[in-house]
Amino acid sequence: MLKKLWIHYFIPQEKNNHRAAILKPNFLLLFLVLYLLNQSIVKSLTIAKPGILGYSSEITAQKVLDQTNNERTKLGLTPLVYNSVLSESAKEKADDMFTNNYWAHNSPQGKTPWTFFDAVGYKYSTAGENLAKDFYNTDSLVKAWMNSPTHKANIINNKYKEIGIAVVNGTLGDVKTTLVVQHFGTPLMATAQEIISQKSDDIVVPEAVDQSSTQEITSQANVLSENKEKLISPLTLSKIFSSIIFIVLIITLFIDGFITVKNNIHRFTGSTAGHIGFLFFIFLIMLFNQQGSIF
Amino acid sequence: MIIPKEIKQKPVEYILLSLIFIIGFFLYIFINNSQSRIWIVSGVTFSYFGWSLYHHQKRGDLHTSIIIEYLLIILLGLVFLLFDPFAIF
Repeated sequence: MLKKLWIHYFIPQEKNNHRAAILKPNFLLLFLVLYLLNQSIVKSLTIAKPGILGYSSEITAQKVLDQTNNERTKLGLTPLVYNSVLSESAKEKADDMFTNNYWAHNSPQGKTPWTFFDAVGYKYSTAGENLAKDFYNTDSLVKAWMNSPTHKANIINNKYKEIGIAVVNGTLGDVKTTLVVQHFGTPLMATAQEIISQKSDDIVVPEAVDQSSTQEITSQANVLSENKEKLISPLTLSKIFSSIIFIVLIITLFIDGFITVKNNIHRFTGSTAGHIGFLFFIFLIMLFNQQGSIF
Repeated sequence: MIIPKEIKQKPVEYILLSLIFIIGFFLYIFINNSQSRIWIVSGVTFSYFGWSLYHHQKRGDLHTSIIIEYLLIILLGLVFLLFDPFAIF
């Protein structure tokens, strides 16, 4: 019975008019409907029961800091020093995005990133901001930033001396998500000190800032790990579902093509090789796409 | 290695199609701009559809059922991609 079904759906033969049944238009339509249904269910669940499908995240401020500094070190740049005041401004930015339900550098109320630096009293000569959401791990997040010229420019900007990071879970656009905000800065004081140090050939290391910040990172990481018991990411679910459908289709096309070529069957259907090429192109793009989005 | 007869008979058509996909994929990877990426995917899709019309017209079997099959495959691919929550568009 199972064998019959397998042959009917996946193997081209006389009974199915020499075309695997799942490659016929009605089944292709069924795949489309199933996929859209899956998307709707996942979306509805995240809205109706945020606790069921929360965006889990292994991202911590410490990991983001380490990987950001790794990228700088690779290029021979000095690592950024963690600053808890900058982290506070980053956290306020993330909270503001959740509260006012937006995803941008400038808020609908007209707040710019600099508003948050000023609000926490961080006096800077140069400053910058990187944003990210919906990422499942720190590796893919930092990789996405490094692949984007504007975000990379912030990460490897030699003018910046300090960094603050906020990793905050919340609900944006009715969907649970994790926002990551990086605030970069060069304190005015440091600029002045740099001028003095250049004159005296001496290097100034802001040790006090570094020590206080270590504690701050640890506490932030702990808060995140409490939220980590969340469950399965709907993004991952959708990704798995669509990948399965794609892989099944591509494998069936391969089997279908192989058998028809082997048996020298002529039929009026589209080009199997062409379909494989197109679906494989789409599949590669889907694999290549990073998790989440950056701003 | 089994090479389909139609590929042996019309290698230029299949080389052209492969080039469309390969160039499209590499452009997508290297151009990190959402607007341009939409154009790249649209370009590859339209090229694929155009290629299919030309290919079957030359083969003499350009039937409605075949066009529908191509449209469904294209629609399936595009819907998966456009609704992919990971896509940077």
